[in-house]
Amino acid sequence: MRVVVLASSPYSETGCAMAARLAQLGQTVAGAISLPAWDRGTLLRKLAQWGWRDSWRFAWSKLAPAKRTTPAKLHNSYLRNAYFEDALRQGSKVLRNLHEVGKAYGFPLQIHADQNSPAAMAQVKLWSADVAVFTGGNILRKQLLQTPRLGVLNSHLALLPEIRGMSSPEWSLVCGVPLGVTIHQMDAGIDTGPILIRREIPHSGECGSLIDLRNRMIAFGIEMMGEAIAGLEAGAIVPARQASCARDTQYFVMHERLKSAAAGSLAQAGSAAAEKCRG
Amino acid sequence: MSEPRAILKAEAGPPRRTAKAVNEVAGLLRGPHRIFPLVLKIATDAARIRLQSRNLYSYSTTRRETGGALRDVARWLVNAQRPDGGFAAFYSLLRGYSESYPEVTGYIVPTLYDYAAVTGDQDAQRAAEKAASWLLSLQISSGAFPSGLHGENSYPSVFNSGQILQGLVRSYVETGRREILQRAEAAGGWLAEVQSNDGSWPGANAYQGVAHTYYSMVAWALAQLAQVSKNREHAATAGKNLDWVLAHARPSGWFDGINLRGHPTYLHFIAYVVQGVLECGILLQRRDAIAAAEKSAWMLLRRFEIAKHLPGCYAADFKAGASFTCLTGNAQMSCVWLRLFEVTRDLRYLNAALKMNEMLKQLLPVRGRRGVAGGVAGSFPAWGAYQPLRYISWGGKFLADALLLEQRLMHLVEVGACAS
Repeated sequence: MRVVVLASSPYSETGCAMAARLAQLGQTVAGAISLPAWDRGTLLRKLAQWGWRDSWRFAWSKLAPAKRTTPAKLHNSYLRNAYFEDALRQGSKVLRNLHEVGKAYGFPLQIHADQNSPAAMAQVKLWSADVAVFTGGNILRKQLLQTPRLGVLNSHLALLPEIRGMSSPEWSLVCGVPLGVTIHQMDAGIDTGPILIRREIPHSGECGSLIDLRNRMIAFGIEMMGEAIAGLEAGAIVPARQASCARDTQYFVMHERLKSAAAGSLAQAGSAAAEKCRG
Repeated sequence: MSEPRAILKAEAGPPRRTAKAVNEVAGLLRGPHRIFPLVLKIATDAARIRLQSRNLYSYSTTRRETGGALRDVARWLVNAQRPDGGFAAFYSLLRGYSESYPEVTGYIVPTLYDYAAVTGDQDAQRAAEKAASWLLSLQISSGAFPSGLHGENSYPSVFNSGQILQGLVRSYVETGRREILQRAEAAGGWLAEVQSNDGSWPGANAYQGVAHTYYSMVAWALAQLAQVSKNREHAATAGKNLDWVLAHARPSGWFDGINLRGHPTYLHFIAYVVQGVLECGILLQRRDAIAAAEKSAWMLLRRFEIAKHLPGCYAADFKAGASFTCLTGNAQMSCVWLRLFEVTRDLRYLNAALKMNEMLKQLLPVRGRRGVAGGVAGSFPAWGAYQPLRYISWGGKFLADALLLEQRLMHLVEVGACAS
């Protein structure tokens, strides 16, 4: 299968890990399309989320010469996903951006300010993509969604159709929906496209924090994506329309005070799991 | 709310508008100490629009503690009480406090009692008691209450009578004074008397002489009265109006019949319809009303979550083009979402309300002179179309209500999360 990876930035860890892992699983990564690294909105958002210090540390880990970076010092797990270690390690070197991943696995990277632009779509066509994998970026238009032969796939960090939209692991926790990942084909709606694989995440109670849970789910989703593409290729997986729900199941960015409640639910799940093990 | 000023806006021709503008500017000349707060407000709003992108944080982070913001708003409300006992309608950055305003005085009373109950603030309780006494002195022999600012030419007003009724009912509950209940019953009786057969309130006692769906707030007040007086006739009057309002609901969740000629349909009025329908529906146990209110509330929630703000005014079916926000309407929607969370247990309503409250808290002036610190502006930015360059008392009332509800419900969620 010829796969194109869509990423929010050349430094997107998820984009890097997705491209590297799919290549390791034997898929042909035809290319990657990313938004530019320096976008004012993203920069301001990261500054607001992380503060100056962590933003600087993160930027340094990505931009400094490889020998001078010390990834181990990036203690905050939101700056680094430890579950990507295997996918991104090449010998003694850790691949830090899509340029490096592309070089290692032999695919080109193109930067476009808009993934829906005619130039980006022409590139996807030129690469004769069978399927595209979305790891972040713009809201995709119908024209782009229909360009690859088998559409664009997304790894959603919750079970569909129960939880659509943003902050999905956290909403799963507070709504009492089992934690899981869904690989689905993207359509014009928000997480409403046909489902390829839907699976609960094992041992979620072992996660020490919401960030840890999210990181683990992203890594789990990458493995599921590999499986979904292989299944599509073999004809073993057929996309299935989502069951309709009586009420709107779209969720939005969760406020930090509710996230505390979600973290509480996660801790309780952890204690219950530990209790079960002891029992 | 704003009916009297709405009347001024809608019915004033060009000469009157000019006279009003001259009067406002002359107010600044009479009180030059207001020049600095005015310039500061315009400069900070301009800077905020330019530098702080609306969707930078999506308001999902707590940047100002709720208790402190609530204290500031309550202090602003208490400071807005005039010597006669009524609350000023607004503090204008051009001409200072307005005269006492019976309508908002009525529905500020429950807010101050709620605040006093939570914090033990005696000043707030005393202010509520004084306000209730003043309101009783305004009642017309028919049982109605007058429209407009105190001292203006007025007519017996359905809407003001309803809003004042809220204060009287609460005042009776707090003090147990029979006289207050009798006066409230008289107001309820008058409202039933002037109600048309279809359940609406058109005619001489209505704003612009036509029926409005945002008079669902009157129905809510009557439902409250029915509950404390055990008089089913008040519930019947409320239910009849509710039926009329629900007949104006579109499948999109939009309510027709707001019927304001000469000025846009501000979010404030839409939120009135929704809040009145919801609260009346809860009290009368009408599922159809709760469902209709939920539909509108959900439409506005989606818009808020996706665009990160709610436009200040709308055309039918929530089509919007305004770039300013109506802060009072925002606070009202926060109240509606919080109550819907309470009714449905759908955490998305609580989530949206928390974010809306964050935005409102961030726009609350922390420092400044009396009339400014803790005040809720009519619009953001301050020169927006709704009550420009004013801090308005009904905005403070609804924000205080929203923050009080947030505190109560978050406490339940946090205790629930710990206990489950």
